[in-house]
Amino acid sequence: MADGEARTFSLSVVTPEGAAYEGEAERLVVPGASGEIGVLARHAPLVAMLKAGEIRIRSGGEWQSFAAGPGYFKVQRDRAIVLVDDAVRAEEIDVEQARREVEEARALLERAESGEEGVDRWQAEQRLRHAENKIAVSGR
Amino acid sequence: MATVQEIKRRVGSVKNTRKITKAMELVAAAKLRRAEARIAALRPYADRMRELMIGTARATPARGFPLLESRDEVRAVAILPLTGDRGLAGGFNAQVIRRALSLEHDARGEGQDVRWLVAGKKGRSTLRFRRYEIADAWVDFTDRPAYSDASAIANAVAELFMSREVDRVVMVYNQYVSPLTQRVTVEDVLPIPRTALEDDEERSSYEIALEGDFIYEPEPEIILGRLLPTYLETSIYRALLESAASEHGARMTAMRNATKNAGELIDRLTLEMNRARQAEITQEILEVVAGADALTQ
Repeated sequence: MADGEARTFSLSVVTPEGAAYEGEAERLVVPGASGEIGVLARHAPLVAMLKAGEIRIRSGGEWQSFAAGPGYFKVQRDRAIVLVDDAVRAEEIDVEQARREVEEARALLERAESGEEGVDRWQAEQRLRHAENKIAVSGR
Repeated sequence: MATVQEIKRRVGSVKNTRKITKAMELVAAAKLRRAEARIAALRPYADRMRELMIGTARATPARGFPLLESRDEVRAVAILPLTGDRGLAGGFNAQVIRRALSLEHDARGEGQDVRWLVAGKKGRSTLRFRRYEIADAWVDFTDRPAYSDASAIANAVAELFMSREVDRVVMVYNQYVSPLTQRVTVEDVLPIPRTALEDDEERSSYEIALEGDFIYEPEPEIILGRLLPTYLETSIYRALLESAASEHGARMTAMRNATKNAGELIDRLTLEMNRARQAEITQEILEVVAGADALTQ
């Protein structure tokens, strides 16, 4: 299939902080809970659960990549919606910053494990996962 | 009567206070605009998440989900007031705490146990001062809450509820109506109200059928089981954002009034100062005239 003539579908990647992507796409790859899901236009109606990982979008013949938290995916006729709790564009990931975040989250986790008051263990784990995911996506 | 010097000093001090309240008003206004933008940014996510949840609930019987379990006998209630980390915001913190305390009073009246959970330093210190035992507190983010803060709270309340330490969780917070108006709202968070799984408006079966049959990956009950805690997180996140916007709005209004009052006080003191100065001059002239009179006699 010639890329220039690829059929497109409308796609929104939405997070609680706003839309990370809004527009037409030719292809989409999302990290489904039991393996990657590839989507083209005219996909069968599907609802899926997503794990934290990389979301790839092909639009205008170019691939774009996002580091995304866990969430949901819904596609229906030519309309796809990705709902994730966080999504950062791969180019915008600051690896140094992400490394620092990993360090901080690990330190926080240790404090939580030593039973310190006011430190939320679960939140520390989430932060660690997010930061590690960002490093993994940017390293590709 | 106060001397000119004394009044002058007071005017200077009030003017300094006015500078501070004016600055606080401007900062609060800027933060309010950002908080409003974040509420607007959440809406598409919240709406689509809810749509997805309603659709998924249609595909599977909504039975056997612990977060939906409405218990016949409520033995213990968790009350979660959302307050701010800082004061100087008019009645913002006080009105939430007042409502939370009246809920506690009612619950105890019905023989229920109460567990306190609190967001914000102000609420925590008030409850500690009153010697209440606080099961869990979250502080240092109420100015600008992140989604992860809401997840942490949601995770903790869900654990309390599922371990049956409490049978109901209610949240008390300032709902954001406008910069000038905040409405204290009590919201049932757990069990998740059944209405959350129903369409707000009646939809015909034809419309529903038009959406087609979805393939669920994994099964709809597993997805719904994960969507319910996400819904809980989103509800708490929305309340945190509304509370933050309310706090900035309340502070802006309180500081605007304080600035206005300071202005009025300065006007009054200036008038008083002029009178005092006039009196001093009159007194001096009288003394001079009396002295001259004494000489001519």
